[in-house]
Amino acid sequence: MKPTVAGFTRALCLVAVVAAVGLLPWLSGRDPALTVLRARSAEQEPTEEALDAVRRDLGLDAGPLSLLGKWAGGLLRGDLGTSWVSGTDVLPSVTAGLQVSLALMGVALAVAVLLAAALVAPVLVRGRGSAGAFAAMLAAVPEFLLATVALLVCGVWLGWLPTSGWQGPENMVLPAIALGVPAGGLLGRLVADALPAVLDERWVELWRGAGVSRARISGAALRRVLPPLVPQFGMAAVGLTGGAVAVETVFAVPGIGRTALGAAKSQDLPLLQGSVLALLLLGLVTGAVAALVRRRLLGPALRDAGLALPPARPGRTHPAIPLTLFTVLAVTIGWGLLRDPYAVNTAARLAAPSPTHPLGTDGLGRDVLARLGHGAASTVGTAAAVCLLSLLVGLALGFLPGIAAGAADIANALPPVIVGILVAAAAGPGTGGAALAVALISWPPLAAHAAALVQEVRASAFLTAGRAIGATPWWILTRHVLPSVAGPVARHALLRLPGIALALASLGFLGLGAQPPAPEWGLLLDESRAYLERAPWAALAPAVALALLAALAVSGAAYTSGRSRVRKAAPALKKVPVAV
Amino acid sequence: MSPLLEVRELVVRYGDFTAVDGVSFTLDAGETLALNGPSGCGKSSTAMAVLQLRRPDSGEVGFEGRELTSLTERELRPLRPRMQPVFQDPYGSLSPRHRIRDAVAEPLKVQGRWTATDGPARVAELLDRVGLDPSYGDRHPHELSGGQCQRAGIARALASEPRLLVLDEPVSALDPSVRAGVLNLLADLQDDLGLGYLFICHDQAVVRHFADRVIEIREGRVISG
Amino acid sequence: MPSDVLLSVRDLRIVFDGVEAVRGLSFDVRPREVLAVVGESGAGKSLTARALLGMVPRGASVGGTIRPDLSTERGRRIALVPQDALSALSPVHPVGDQLAAAVRSVQRVSRRQARARAVAALDRVGIPDAARTARAYPHEYSGGMRQRAVIAMATINEPDVVVADEPTSALDAERQEQVLRVLGERREAVGAALVLVTHDMDVVRDHANRVLVMYAGRAVEAGRVQDVLSRPRAPYTAGLLASLPQNARGLRRLPALPGTPPAPGALPAGCAFAPRCPLAADRCRHEEPEPRPLHDRLVACHRADDVPHPAIDLFQEKQPA
Repeated sequence: MKPTVAGFTRALCLVAVVAAVGLLPWLSGRDPALTVLRARSAEQEPTEEALDAVRRDLGLDAGPLSLLGKWAGGLLRGDLGTSWVSGTDVLPSVTAGLQVSLALMGVALAVAVLLAAALVAPVLVRGRGSAGAFAAMLAAVPEFLLATVALLVCGVWLGWLPTSGWQGPENMVLPAIALGVPAGGLLGRLVADALPAVLDERWVELWRGAGVSRARISGAALRRVLPPLVPQFGMAAVGLTGGAVAVETVFAVPGIGRTALGAAKSQDLPLLQGSVLALLLLGLVTGAVAALVRRRLLGPALRDAGLALPPARPGRTHPAIPLTLFTVLAVTIGWGLLRDPYAVNTAARLAAPSPTHPLGTDGLGRDVLARLGHGAASTVGTAAAVCLLSLLVGLALGFLPGIAAGAADIANALPPVIVGILVAAAAGPGTGGAALAVALISWPPLAAHAAALVQEVRASAFLTAGRAIGATPWWILTRHVLPSVAGPVARHALLRLPGIALALASLGFLGLGAQPPAPEWGLLLDESRAYLERAPWAALAPAVALALLAALAVSGAAYTSGRSRVRKAAPALKKVPVAV
Repeated sequence: MSPLLEVRELVVRYGDFTAVDGVSFTLDAGETLALNGPSGCGKSSTAMAVLQLRRPDSGEVGFEGRELTSLTERELRPLRPRMQPVFQDPYGSLSPRHRIRDAVAEPLKVQGRWTATDGPARVAELLDRVGLDPSYGDRHPHELSGGQCQRAGIARALASEPRLLVLDEPVSALDPSVRAGVLNLLADLQDDLGLGYLFICHDQAVVRHFADRVIEIREGRVISG
Repeated sequence: MPSDVLLSVRDLRIVFDGVEAVRGLSFDVRPREVLAVVGESGAGKSLTARALLGMVPRGASVGGTIRPDLSTERGRRIALVPQDALSALSPVHPVGDQLAAAVRSVQRVSRRQARARAVAALDRVGIPDAARTARAYPHEYSGGMRQRAVIAMATINEPDVVVADEPTSALDAERQEQVLRVLGERREAVGAALVLVTHDMDVVRDHANRVLVMYAGRAVEAGRVQDVLSRPRAPYTAGLLASLPQNARGLRRLPALPGTPPAPGALPAGCAFAPRCPLAADRCRHEEPEPRPLHDRLVACHRADDVPHPAIDLFQEKQPA
């Protein structure tokens, strides 16, 4: 029953996303006629007739259904329409961008695999390790931050490599690193976290006890770990499509991500539809390839339900680490909140850090510390609201496991940036739109977690014992199921808070979130790029703050999961008879 | 006098698999009936079906003269306290989040027999009855040994004032010396309270010692007894 | 070292999680014998077994001597049959490949030869159509076949000592018997000694030649099975035997050892068993007894000569704490 529900939800979500793309011109509700007219010809007067002609030409006078039908019909014929801005066919632009992006992602994937191998190797050799924490840190750093820092350090300060364009292989290095390192961190973390638990499985004992060499056991352990992780590798590859938008923008790479973002900003909806569709297709194909690889890797062992990996043992983190990070952030933010983020002082533009401006000033002479502090209030405040909303939705839908699983699949296949582009194109860029975009994809993991917990509690013997004493379903729900589920899921939601803030910041960075002069962290980083060489502190302040946030997310997660594991551990029991 | 428990032609299916295939037996008050057989023979499925925690696919379960299989969940609820399970895994059958005291008090609260004055005393009495010092009430299940935890589970079952205990491998997860203590406790309780025991166990020696009668089950069917 | 000793353990001490879990244990393993190591959870028997193989968990430190050190020649000289044989095979490797990996790690043979030996080993433990089933995955095997395959893997390099760590504790009586029978057959065929870790006195009685009874990390009694089981001289051994339902002889209440084993690291002064011992005297509470030869065995008990026979009366009507 369950897989059908999940499959149905999956298909429904996919159709909904594609339909949303098709309906973008109608959803946006704004009249692009003037924009299009200006873009086509600077001389023409924007008379009512001229605008009407444009509207008729674009097909905007028809209803949403006919619009969708026309677009879908064109799609089937391989016609993606004509750009509203340049008047050229969309398809060639999309394929050209796709080629560039595919090349970039290919190199980035190679970087990711190399990095992951380097992270996993020590764990494999020692049979145990803490590479997970470092890898998790790398995985948590958002691409736009890494791209900006790489640009600043390697491109501007050291001058080793070109920082923009797409002329030769040397252009590929920095973007591929910026894109590949977080993905490599994620892959490395997944494997490094899973390996120690697998090396504790009973078969390793049998193999060691029978004299099988260490190298053979390491190889076998890797073979054991990889297949169940392949879907997650697929997700990491899909994540590359989202990261590509930021990285291509920073390094001015003419890929499909930058095309999509540019189209969203210039309201060139046909081009946007085409490029978003291409990005979605890329994600779907990647997912399908991942599934195929998994099938190949597993072969006939696929049917065994016992293939799930044993739960990873969390590394122990000293509570001082997240506490220190939190204190540093809180003090900085608190200090900044006391200052004025909007006061423009043209006399003190791009001033270096000094007692008056502890973190320097930006291009308009505004105090960076003040903007950082107030930016936190908006970024983290919005993130908290998104987080709470996701928690409530996740808890509610956790009781409908089929829906939760299906929706989670689609949400996992959609990077926040792409959802952000869609929402921004429909509703216009803004804090609300960015929050909506992030909320849309942040509830499913919570729902999936809640669903798993609900299932676990429902199957437990103590719940059966509860029914046996004559407890009503309401009593069981409120005294046993909800308390067992709400706590861990709320903690999970809290752990996602920094990640949600980073996603919001990345939308802000791309101009899809808060608008100037709002002091949003991603926006701060974006604005500072213009004078990166003259005033690096203006970029460093938000970059360091974001990195601290990422570190807080990782160490906080490691600390709480380590603690809950200790609390749950029951004394070892003798094995009990099992059905064969 | 009708027996405490009368099971007739019980059938339990999981999909295409028939776990219990027409099992019948009776059990009197104060009597111990053992269901014996290898892993996966349908012993535990029979227990769950007797308790109506897994509704049987067909057959009848008569308990204290009432036929249970035809009752709705709502009609069944007031009868449930009269038959209580004790499970194999002592830790799994108590909520890890609750103190022992609260776990033992829960049946009293659910069944409307809890008062602020008498409730705590009743819990202490029950813990004492199973050989646990009442100070253990403040602990969580994972702070007890397997044997102590199993005693707490028995105290919780007794809180419902049952006539029948369905014991599903209650000592299989315990060390031999601890096992003897729990078996003795169960024997004492039966002598004092006249409880009927449906005792599920795969250990022949324990069954021979503890049970008045034994039914051998193989592949969901009674083969002797 | 006398020539009839295969493995000699002297003053073995294992510290694990900061507490001494094995506290000065000495015993020998002789060729082709079955030595049962018996005790309750936390007695240190599993750690002892693992120390023989050099496979103690990370963080455990081992003191004392084990001669000769066979841990560098695992597979060829010593091998392990782990607990819970049902889940002891890798789920993602064909069974034959797993056995072949063990052969190739120990002997210089070609891939084909290793495969052939794996098939032969599976055939010897009674796996039907071994040439074909060797290519199957563990989940395609029945429970009984998996247990046989595990035994085949542990004995494929014909070791001198097989260590079986509670190989049957997760099984019901019938399967337990099957596993021990196959294990016994293979042991005899390759001429190995077997160190059998168990908490089940029935297994000791039916399958072992000698027995080592452990309590709180030390040996309390060791000797030939018929000597120890027919007339235990340590009160702990006597209590373990008395509390078995099959020895209760129609009693309503079983004779039971009062209390629970002490947690390692929280041992009482003197004899670790004294607080639970019906014979404990003043001396027992102050002085830890050393194993001494007595009545054809080793006993570590000050009051060994005062243990009555039968000992059931000693443990009657003691209310458990």
